[in-house]
Amino acid sequence: MTETPKAETPAAKDETPAFTSVELSGIVQEYPAGDGKPPHRVLENVDLTFDRPGINMLLGPSGCGKSTVLRMMGGVRPIGATTPTQGKVLIGGVPCEDAHEDAVMVFQRYANRPDLSVWDNVALPFRFKLWKRKVDRATWTKRVDEILTAVGLADKKELRPAQLSGGQNQRVALARALVLRPKILLMDEPFGALDAQTREEMQRLLVSLLESQPCLVVFVTHDVSEAILLGDRVIVMSGSPATVVDDFPITEARPRSNAWVMSSPIVQMKDRILARLHESKGHGQVRVSF
Amino acid sequence: MWNPYEPIAAGTRRALGLSSVLTILGIWAALAGFSLVSPARLPAPLAVLSALSRLAWDPARGESRLFDATLASVSRVLVAGVLVIVVGVPIGILMGASPRLNAALSPLVDPFRSAPVVAFLPILVMWLGIGELMKVAFLFVGAVVFLIPMVRDAILAVPQQHWISARDLGATPWEAVRVSVIPMARPRIADAITVAVSVMWTYITVAEYVNAERGLGQLIANARRVSAMDQLFVGIFTIIGLALVTYFAMVAIKKRLYPWETE
Repeated sequence: MTETPKAETPAAKDETPAFTSVELSGIVQEYPAGDGKPPHRVLENVDLTFDRPGINMLLGPSGCGKSTVLRMMGGVRPIGATTPTQGKVLIGGVPCEDAHEDAVMVFQRYANRPDLSVWDNVALPFRFKLWKRKVDRATWTKRVDEILTAVGLADKKELRPAQLSGGQNQRVALARALVLRPKILLMDEPFGALDAQTREEMQRLLVSLLESQPCLVVFVTHDVSEAILLGDRVIVMSGSPATVVDDFPITEARPRSNAWVMSSPIVQMKDRILARLHESKGHGQVRVSF
Repeated sequence: MWNPYEPIAAGTRRALGLSSVLTILGIWAALAGFSLVSPARLPAPLAVLSALSRLAWDPARGESRLFDATLASVSRVLVAGVLVIVVGVPIGILMGASPRLNAALSPLVDPFRSAPVVAFLPILVMWLGIGELMKVAFLFVGAVVFLIPMVRDAILAVPQQHWISARDLGATPWEAVRVSVIPMARPRIADAITVAVSVMWTYITVAEYVNAERGLGQLIANARRVSAMDQLFVGIFTIIGLALVTYFAMVAIKKRLYPWETE
């Protein structure tokens, strides 16, 4: 289960993902408060349409409900409440009720299996009927090798997660998501637990991976700087209950230089975002690192 | 300075352990040697040793009563142990994986952990007679009520993140349990089996108390009947020895099977 012959055709030709749109309309989310109290409303009137590939940053204070929005977009729904309480989620125009096969999620806690090698961790989804049916063994073993090379872990594929750093473990999780060639990549603060230097490395890696494998990325963060550095589009959520308070594109090509980051339009953009966040009530935190 | 996290060298640990064992042996030898306690109540260590050699090999009869007894007890523990694992592990896994099944079965299982299992012996005798079936059934009941809740808890202790992550990668609920949850729970399930086997060793004398023709429990019961305290001690030490050997063997097997657990 290791070396496969060198690929003759580029990986992208194996199965280029077509694009799928995601549409959320009139989303309201409430969680039961218990003790006969009225339910706690975390999201109100969230309307979002994702109709082109690219990196969409979902920025907001910690705990505002961004992850709940993310999980509605084809991830596993939160347990303990109907999600969403009101509103509709359409993936490719079709109502979506729970985990969707076009969407894959990458979490801050990377959930690698400690007993399996890096290679087997990345190949894990191909143990499931869904992927066994869709991708034949020769194809997926080749894909696993290729994605491990792409994330820079080709020489570590025999190691176990405990022998890797946090950043390398997150690379394993990212590889396990991308090996499925998802149309929708949902990232829930994936680099939030990493140190600043590793976080930058991972941001660069993500951007380069997405160049060869473009898809619809929705990336949740509470880091204003990360949102500005990575996003084709920045959606700002705030308030209690939270709703979308700002939504704008960034057209600058990546990687984005320091000079660009320090330029006055971008500083103004940052100030505008922070002002938006301060306008609405709520007490979560955001991070600004430049 | 005292420090609860102080690492101690293997040599120091062994020396400390050995010294407490030797202290007890010393007190025992002194009590018996100076006739502070009558030999009918406490046999001298040497008397126990000689009983051991007589039980280990009886030249007059050309047999080893100790070996026969050990073989009988070990096979009972083995048979009951296999049954306990085959029945208890799947039930525990299903209870851990299904909150509904857990809610339904917990009231049947959990109270038995603190129930006087020994008191069931007469009931088992009434139902199953006094033969081999009753003895194995008793060991089974005694151990399975520990194993099932421990296996369930092993499953519940796996962070939910693993299940969510597998579901998100396209696993069906059962695939997520099979591929992501159960493998993570294996070390704790192995611990549960170790505990279950230890429990069986503690119950073996009770199981073999009624009408056993062979077995360490029978050896102990007989020794008590004829007030052969030295033989009684031999029986007790043999059971402790067997229990320790199985325990350490199982710990070693677990370490070998799941080296990643301590990484």
